[in-house]
Amino acid sequence: MPDGRRAALCCALALTAGLMAGCSEKSRTESGGGTLVVSTASDADNLFPPLVMSSQGRQVVEQIFEPLADVGDSLNVFGDAGFIPRLADSWTWSADSLSIAFHLDPRARWHDGKPVRASDVRFTLSLAKNPSVAAPIAPLLSNVDSVSVTDSLTPVFWFKRRSAQQFYDAATVALIVPEHIYGGIAPAALASSDVLRHPVGSGRFKFRHWVPNATIEIVSNRDHYRAPAKLDRVIWTIAPGDFNAASTRFLAGEADFFPSVRPDMMAQIAKSPNLRLVEYPGFKFGYMVFNMRDPTNPKAPHPLFHDVAVRRALTMAIDRASLVRNVFDSLAIPSIGPTVRAMGTSDTTIAQIPYDPSSAMRILDSLGWHAARDGIRARDGRQLAFTIMVPSSSKDRERLAVLMQDQFKRVGVKVSILAVEPNVFEQQQATHAFDAAIETWLADPSPGGIRESWGSEAARTEGSKNYGDYANSVFDTQVDSALGASSRSAARVLFSRAFQTLISNAPAIWLFEPRNVVGIQKRIHTAPLRADAWWAHLADWYVPADEQIARDHAGDDVALRADSPSSKGSS
Amino acid sequence: MQAVIVVAIVTTIVFVLIHIAPGDPFTSAMDNPNVTEAMRARWRAMYGLDQPLLEQYVRYLSNVARGNFGWSFSMHRPVIDVLKDALPNTLLLAGTALVLGFAGGIGLAVIQATRPGSRTDRTLGAGSMFFYAMPDFWLALMMMLIFAYWLPWFPVAGAVDPVMHEYMGPLAALGDRLKHLALPAITLALLSGAAVARYQRAELLRVLPDDFVRTARAKGLSERRVMWVHVLRNALIPTISLLGLSLPVLFTGAVFIERVFAWPGMGWVILNGVATRDYPLVTAGVIVAAATVTLGSLGADLLYSVADPRIRGR
Repeated sequence: MPDGRRAALCCALALTAGLMAGCSEKSRTESGGGTLVVSTASDADNLFPPLVMSSQGRQVVEQIFEPLADVGDSLNVFGDAGFIPRLADSWTWSADSLSIAFHLDPRARWHDGKPVRASDVRFTLSLAKNPSVAAPIAPLLSNVDSVSVTDSLTPVFWFKRRSAQQFYDAATVALIVPEHIYGGIAPAALASSDVLRHPVGSGRFKFRHWVPNATIEIVSNRDHYRAPAKLDRVIWTIAPGDFNAASTRFLAGEADFFPSVRPDMMAQIAKSPNLRLVEYPGFKFGYMVFNMRDPTNPKAPHPLFHDVAVRRALTMAIDRASLVRNVFDSLAIPSIGPTVRAMGTSDTTIAQIPYDPSSAMRILDSLGWHAARDGIRARDGRQLAFTIMVPSSSKDRERLAVLMQDQFKRVGVKVSILAVEPNVFEQQQATHAFDAAIETWLADPSPGGIRESWGSEAARTEGSKNYGDYANSVFDTQVDSALGASSRSAARVLFSRAFQTLISNAPAIWLFEPRNVVGIQKRIHTAPLRADAWWAHLADWYVPADEQIARDHAGDDVALRADSPSSKGSS
Repeated sequence: MQAVIVVAIVTTIVFVLIHIAPGDPFTSAMDNPNVTEAMRARWRAMYGLDQPLLEQYVRYLSNVARGNFGWSFSMHRPVIDVLKDALPNTLLLAGTALVLGFAGGIGLAVIQATRPGSRTDRTLGAGSMFFYAMPDFWLALMMMLIFAYWLPWFPVAGAVDPVMHEYMGPLAALGDRLKHLALPAITLALLSGAAVARYQRAELLRVLPDDFVRTARAKGLSERRVMWVHVLRNALIPTISLLGLSLPVLFTGAVFIERVFAWPGMGWVILNGVATRDYPLVTAGVIVAAATVTLGSLGADLLYSVADPRIRGR
């Protein structure tokens, strides 16, 4: 071959190789890849959707398993607007709205290759509602009467009554599990079955292994019917019970993501050239609940807090904005009531009981609580004094209690602080053996939970979450109307009325709503973090090829090896 | 027989105390808004926790007699599996620390005792006092801060690199394990070594003026041989007592050190068991601890007779 032609051929080959390399690089950059290491201080409780309760467990199972539809970023739970198809690619309402027929995506496969069938949906719901399983999601499915199967791709949900949230209940509450894997285990034996530690789902990630109190690893499901996860793998590294070790791991670069940034870490993260902070709204709020029952005689009303005027005066004595600033810096804002701003049904303009210590003192004077020589108010020989209970595990709540103690003292109220072990805290709450307690509540997108924490029915039920034993029939009626609303806008108006009733009655002092802040390595490109679950779009996170480091490539062959029969179920 | 009785008594006390403490294994579930009291009652019934305490105790004992330590509520696994995972990690950490601590402590004490009152003696004495007086969790945090964060020479926590370990060759994997072991083991060794050095120095100084030491020197033995062979052997008794007391750490873990360095060992397992009211896990952990305390005492008794043949005859 003449030299000129040889040189031209070489050039052409080099150009082609270069183009191919460029294409490959471009495609990899677009499709992502890489490894995400999450640092956490807690292990998962289990990896079986109907039984999982811990946040870590949810983070993992919601990557491995799928619901019929996802609530979507709008977090609307009324009707089916905004819901995103997952295992179901479409759905049809019956004329009387008492049933919904879902059509499963025929391409959907379990991670062992078997197709997802309507019978799996029926199995999941019967399992979740089975009393022997005692699944925590069972109460959320109480309106689902049954599930029937029309054909292999069409499960039909039948409801006991019409409800604005019935689609949410049916489509999102239960993650669907395969009958051929879990059907052979007796429901009562499920909780102690080893199968639960090796989940087989249908999600964009699949399970690889779990070393208790050390790591949980999932890898991209290359055969997923919609699209494989963009990240090659996600590893949760667990520093059991130690926040410091978990946070230092992140700060030292051993992990890429830390979901629980505290104020004292923010400056360090901001200074680091490789880390960034991302803020997103949260679903948690904190409050000091007044016990309406006398802790020494639960059948009698509380000597102080049964009087709404006293509760309102005490609320006026507290400067919530300064409390929150002092304790949380910029990582929380004052709470707006028994809800959070991120919830679609919340009205942020609801009138709050203002901070007004002068009015608080006037009200207490008018009620006969006059200051004695020591500055503490008293009436009929009884001091205006009570105890605030906090769990000793929460330094934030202890600090809040100390600051509140000082603010109450300024209006002549004597407050003692009782910091107790978390188990004792829970037990004292459940038995109403406290005056006041600083609690936190993690809401979910459905506002129906408010009945359980503030409803009269719950107040009559022993062991309910209505720890303050608050009962108000007007509030109950307003909540019932709101939950029956046909649209989110209508619900918002009706919930506003209910919340206004509750806030005016002051069964609690609404203290803080934390702003969620996470720390992330800059090379990790994230999708929007959703208020109810930062991990909702984890399958769309990625590390561009030109930003990948050694650990992004360490597991390049992991997905392939996870397919091999020998590696399945390893732990 | 005495050992069995001790273990049985300790087990009974712990079983009763942990059951009458406020809360139960399902108390933490109350944080979950969906978990109702009825659901908790059902869980309690599923695991027999609604039965009278005596019945639960008898059932527990009969299970333990058959080698079944029960189900861990907090780990969601059989207790025996939890212990099987945690015990080797604790043995590795505490064993390494024990060897390093005792070897280092005895070595320091010999150096100090050969030069009593010298600057070296005073400096080493001050150093050992410094570590002896230091709270273990604080030293662990400082070690982590200095050697894992400011000077990133060692990993922060864990027993191996969670991401890269399985892709390493045998030598690199061994190196990774040793790097993870270094900080917690050195921390523990510093704490135990300081105590050993102080006890051992005092005993060496007590033995040094004895007649047999003068005789050994008169025989023309080197000072090193006198110290290491004759004096040290006779001064080991208090250190052996200390070793006997330290042996249980081998099995029950150094709670704070394991927690700070996220070392998945027995210490953390028991601590977590207490916090979550994991009755079977705590009771099994205490059985292991009680058994090793008694074995530790037995081991110390045997070592006494090795170190000092006069004890054998008594």
